[in-house]
Amino acid sequence: MEYNILDSIDLNDSTIYKSFTDRYFSKRYILNIDGIKNNDIMLMFHSNRITLLCLAPSHFFFKRPDNYSLNFTVGEVDRLSNLVKGKGKKGGQMLTPKSVICKVQWSDGTSFNIPCCMKGTLIEINENLVKHPELLRQEPDSDGFIAIMLSSIAISEATKKELLNHEEYLKRVNSSL
Amino acid sequence: MEHKAIYKLCKGLGCCEACCLRYIGIKNPNAYENSINFVTKYNDENEPNSIEIKNNNESTTDNEKNTTMSSTKSETNKSNENNDNSIESTENVDETTIEVNNEVESNGRTSPPSKKRKVNICVSCLGVLQEDNWQEGFQMVKELLDKKGYECTTFACALSAPIATLLREKIITLNIVDEFPQYDAKVLTPLKEAWKWSFGVKLSAYINKTLDSGAVSPLLVTVNMDYTDDLQELEILKLVSPQLFEERRKQRRRFVTEFTRRSVEQALEKATLSSLKAAGAQLVAVRARGVCGYIKLSRNLPQSPWILDGKRVLPSSVQEIIFAPLAKCYKWEEADAERRLKLIAAGREDVDVRCLGDGRPFAVEITDPTRQLTDEELKEACKEISNSGQVIVKRIVPITREDLIQLKNGEETKSKTYEALCIKLSHSKYDTDHTSPVRVTPEDIDRINSYTNTDTDVRIAITQKTPIRVLHRRPLLTRNREILELTAELVPERPQLFVVRARTAAGTYVKEWVHGELRRSAPALRDVLAARADLLALDVAAVHLAWPPS
Ligand SMILES: [Zn+2]
Repeated sequence: MEYNILDSIDLNDSTIYKSFTDRYFSKRYILNIDGIKNNDIMLMFHSNRITLLCLAPSHFFFKRPDNYSLNFTVGEVDRLSNLVKGKGKKGGQMLTPKSVICKVQWSDGTSFNIPCCMKGTLIEINENLVKHPELLRQEPDSDGFIAIMLSSIAISEATKKELLNHEEYLKRVNSSL
Repeated sequence: MEHKAIYKLCKGLGCCEACCLRYIGIKNPNAYENSINFVTKYNDENEPNSIEIKNNNESTTDNEKNTTMSSTKSETNKSNENNDNSIESTENVDETTIEVNNEVESNGRTSPPSKKRKVNICVSCLGVLQEDNWQEGFQMVKELLDKKGYECTTFACALSAPIATLLREKIITLNIVDEFPQYDAKVLTPLKEAWKWSFGVKLSAYINKTLDSGAVSPLLVTVNMDYTDDLQELEILKLVSPQLFEERRKQRRRFVTEFTRRSVEQALEKATLSSLKAAGAQLVAVRARGVCGYIKLSRNLPQSPWILDGKRVLPSSVQEIIFAPLAKCYKWEEADAERRLKLIAAGREDVDVRCLGDGRPFAVEITDPTRQLTDEELKEACKEISNSGQVIVKRIVPITREDLIQLKNGEETKSKTYEALCIKLSHSKYDTDHTSPVRVTPEDIDRINSYTNTDTDVRIAITQKTPIRVLHRRPLLTRNREILELTAELVPERPQLFVVRARTAAGTYVKEWVHGELRRSAPALRDVLAARADLLALDVAAVHLAWPPS
């Protein structure tokens, strides 16, 4: 072939091997939410103000090997029935930083909530978590994301600035060990 | 009011003789029967036809007429908007309406050379009042009448003109007022009247029937002049009168089309010259189009200039590389070129995707070209484009408006073949040895080459959610898409890499299909492989659209 695809990129350049989420998102962290140790959330911001809600790797959830189930009904609100219409995403559930997206219930009956940590509109719940709750544990920073949210540029930028970036996060987590 | 001055102004804007008379306000039917003779009195004797000569140098318009004829139908003539020379409306006479569709087309074409004298299409009536465009219409009417064999000795005729003529009349009227503030726009003789007095009279001789008013004659001949740029041209009215069209859009059930004579008249009511200009209104009758396919060799080149917050993200674009030599031929400055050249492509690839093979079909629309470029110049332009090292265009040929429609339609129907360089990132569930380094096995390749999930010719039926990268500006939808063909092969000396070639249906997001986009696209290539996989590089290998049209 005239323009061989193998010659078109530098295979020794490590940046081409970045994962999908590392390629397109910048990660931000909120630690010890509600004063609960290691109640840690990771938000992944796309440059287009789409944000993914994920558990941070330091979340206490990952230290516990027990079975769990996920519940997306929060009080009166069923997160799974969220529907957005049109380009403007009309009808999406409104979110504030405290809004709970999902409840994780352990086999012993105890549970904890996952809050969304920012103001915005709920676009999509990761439906795959319903059938495959194990994804939350196995691939928390990719296929096990919890929800997709959208906010204004202003809020998105402000939240991004306010939260810990990846380096700051690593420093904080390592010093608290 | 100085008739001569208005004549000169209109002529300078590009009006035909008959239209000049209309703007002057001449209501004498005889003047329109031979308008070219009638206007001689407005020409200065010492500089005869100075404007004529200048215009003839723009040897651009080969008036390509594509004629379609719609079927005849019987209907009752409700000519309530005709405040014309008819006396009053009669009751329901069983009248016969003949519709003749006559397309006004003004493509600049180089070949084949036309024996016909070349005429510049009038910027106001778009050729409706220009005798050189009538012959075909006469013939169509005659043929139809002969076929039908109506014995009636009289006829009435009615014109359905392109709606864009309303916009153009407004622009010209405002131009006159700009020059002569005391000019009264109401003097304008309606297009349909001038047409009846000229076309109608000549048609009468041609079909050997007496022209009469619609209220009297039971035979009504409706001539429908189509202008293919009509709706496109009216788009600017949405900027001039946004509320009006927003209202219409909201009441879509009530208004089937956005642009009707009524809505356009409403939109134009309060329009000013500056508001129309700001919206991009132009008096242009001639558009030339050149086409080919472009090959894009760079993974760092957008199709159109990429500007974010007023700053350039990347220094160049396919569009700019293609425009540069064309603008040079016309000696246009950058701003001028940007305004007068338009790139119309069959879709676009991402910045980091190359487009190889025969390239991506595209056309360049040249608005108001001062002349036709020669074959030599076009060849030279291709050479210059290819010298960029980033884009290759092998040849540029002239096309028509109809070809362009094919290009645009192609966007919804064409399939594309992609070549993707992929990496296997984890052991597959079929791998027996999970301790050795991850490598693509011949079994993996076989699995991809034989995988299907349908009983039809389609290899893989997939569903794709709107990709996250465009989700902020597009609705969230789950679409059914198709992978039509799929083959994979190993990459020598790179055990983790493999190359796939996939032909996909129009609208398939191929990057997302490869990596699965957080399982929002399924089944993805990684699902077929049953291992984590990602995309390292992507090329469009072919855009399956016959282009340029033969
Ligand atoms: Zn005219």
